[in-house]
Amino acid sequence: MTQKTLKGLSYTALVGPALAIYAFFIIFPIFFSITLSFTKWSGLDIPKFVGLAQYREIISDPIFRHGLRNNLWIVAVSVFGQIPLGFVLAYIIYRKLVLGSSFFEAMIFFPITISAVVVAILWNQIFSPTGIVTALMRSIYKNPRYVFTMFQSETYAIFPVLFVILWMYTGTYMVIFLANLQNISPSVIESAIIDGATEGQILKLIILPSMLNIIFTTIVFAISGSLKSFDLIYAMTGGGPAHYTEVIAIYMYINTFKYYKYGFGSAVSVIIIFLSLVLITLIRSLFNRLENKYGA
Amino acid sequence: MKKLLTLLVVLFFLGNTLFATGQKEATKGGKITLSMYTYQDLSDPVTTKNWKVLLNKFKSEHPNIEFSIEYGFNEPYHNKLQAMLVADQLPDIIFLWPGKRTGKVTGSGKIKDLRPWLKGHEKEFASIAMAPQGKNGEIYELPEAVTATHVMYTNTKFLKQLGLSFPKTHAELLAQGAKIRAQNLIPIAMTNKSQWQMQSCLLSTLTERAGGMEWFKKAIKGEGASFADPEFVNALSVIDQLSKNQMFSPGINQLDYGQALTQFVNEKAVYYIDGGWRVNSLKQELTTAQKKYVVLNTYPDIPNQKGQSGSTSMVAGTGYGMNAKLTGAKADAAWQWIWFYSGPEGSKIRQANGAITAYKLPVPQNADILVKELTKFVSERPAGYVLDAVMDAEGIGVLQTGVQEMMLGRKTPKQVADEYEAWVAKNDSNRKH
Repeated sequence: MTQKTLKGLSYTALVGPALAIYAFFIIFPIFFSITLSFTKWSGLDIPKFVGLAQYREIISDPIFRHGLRNNLWIVAVSVFGQIPLGFVLAYIIYRKLVLGSSFFEAMIFFPITISAVVVAILWNQIFSPTGIVTALMRSIYKNPRYVFTMFQSETYAIFPVLFVILWMYTGTYMVIFLANLQNISPSVIESAIIDGATEGQILKLIILPSMLNIIFTTIVFAISGSLKSFDLIYAMTGGGPAHYTEVIAIYMYINTFKYYKYGFGSAVSVIIIFLSLVLITLIRSLFNRLENKYGA
Repeated sequence: MKKLLTLLVVLFFLGNTLFATGQKEATKGGKITLSMYTYQDLSDPVTTKNWKVLLNKFKSEHPNIEFSIEYGFNEPYHNKLQAMLVADQLPDIIFLWPGKRTGKVTGSGKIKDLRPWLKGHEKEFASIAMAPQGKNGEIYELPEAVTATHVMYTNTKFLKQLGLSFPKTHAELLAQGAKIRAQNLIPIAMTNKSQWQMQSCLLSTLTERAGGMEWFKKAIKGEGASFADPEFVNALSVIDQLSKNQMFSPGINQLDYGQALTQFVNEKAVYYIDGGWRVNSLKQELTTAQKKYVVLNTYPDIPNQKGQSGSTSMVAGTGYGMNAKLTGAKADAAWQWIWFYSGPEGSKIRQANGAITAYKLPVPQNADILVKELTKFVSERPAGYVLDAVMDAEGIGVLQTGVQEMMLGRKTPKQVADEYEAWVAKNDSNRKH
């Protein structure tokens, strides 16, 4: 047996099983899902090839478009809400601009340790028509039938959900930023202070440029996480009333698992992946430009 | 392309089969172990306690049969059942619905027809419970009960205090609203966050009221009638008017199922619309004093009514079925459970807990007052169909969303009716002759 054959056999023996498992659990389902998206399949019969018909149906469905709009709101809140807020909070704690920073660090991170279903029930208890805030509002307005009309508006029903998403996930980004801030050598900042740099200059000229990569990573997390968001919203509103708070993942779930439309559900999942890739590619190119500008 | 698709499906099922082979041998040392997937809200102490009484009684009588039980409730139950079906991993015993709710499962050929075991016992059950569940008259699950999906529970103490009586017409009911609200009370406690409640517990009854059974049957088949007819618009208009006149619980479309029950039990509401199955909970939640003034009614007459006064909507109840793969001792053991649960023994236990059993039993003299009332209600009230038991699930989704939008003021009853009919005409299996 030649050395080359032996090497080949070793590679096959060592990598083969892992590769086979990976292919079976990851590659095959993805390929299966993409193929299914061009078919009508109830899960019990032989799939019927329908080409792009289901994609056309999805894109022309107002429920899907409203779900997409809600998803884009979640992306916006994640990218322009959670990440900046997480960064600011991490910066305040890192620079010890507030007393008891360890306490705040724990408190801000706390929501992420709770299950999304528990968070949903908690906020439902607060804002539900039988919840404490509604009861308080009823006594203030002296109106026993008072309810938050925002929850019944097609345009605004998603906003309370966005608030809960902001409350729940900001802590994650804060911890990521804090861990990376702690990697910056204190001597660099101390030198800057000795040289007379202001807090703003330290942030703009030292901290932000060194955090560019991690900001990009968190944005990628935020986008992919936002497009597949499901558990919190499903437990909180179920996508209702009347699909007002529905997101694409719930739309996919209902069509697949309630109406036995596996091909249709696969097409929705392919759209989610496509949207994620487009948004992440756009962000990648934007950051490449920023890197070229600041990295030079 | 077809070959590729077939290959993919084969691979998919091959994978499932590979993982399914891990199931342990179910008959050991004379003991038979059956896997069971059942419908039970484990967070509800009342029904969970009742379920355990049944289970323990069966176990004490059949020590050779053991169960490996998985629980589910509400939508997650159905979602998991569907995943089990598609993956060809249905358990031995499965909790099923007689109509469209689990129609894909019962119609898949993977559930055994119970008629060979049932033979000779048919007349011991209420006739509605023996209605065919399959195209060739199959009985896939043995119904445990006869279910009225519409009951208008009434607190007569409040009516008396307010100088009111149970309304004879929809207009009279609307007129009571102002007087009831003035006392900080809710006219009709009801929830609709999950959407099915309004369709199952009120709209189904109103549909029969508006058009009558002949029209209802024709509309389902699309033979000379449709859901775009004025009859169905009339039924929807009743809900629209109730909503616009603030008759329902505030924020009804945000309220979780169960919250209306709490409002009624805590005496915050005069009327409460839900299914007959709620007697099971009310029996234990209401005090003895309360039970004396809680009465079971149906919705009053509606304008242009062509159906029957006092009608409700009724359906054969749920029950257990068995996996078509079971044979021999395992199949017999599964039948023993199914017969225990829906037959005379289990029915007596469930009757004592407030169920109107499909198995014909005399009502015991010492039965709870609410159980006696519900038994009388079910036997005397004329009944129509429950929409989600006869129409396809996806279309029901379209209808239920439309009803919510109507209640939120974004659609008219006519729009909802037209949109539903458009879906039914194009897709519903009842229209595919």
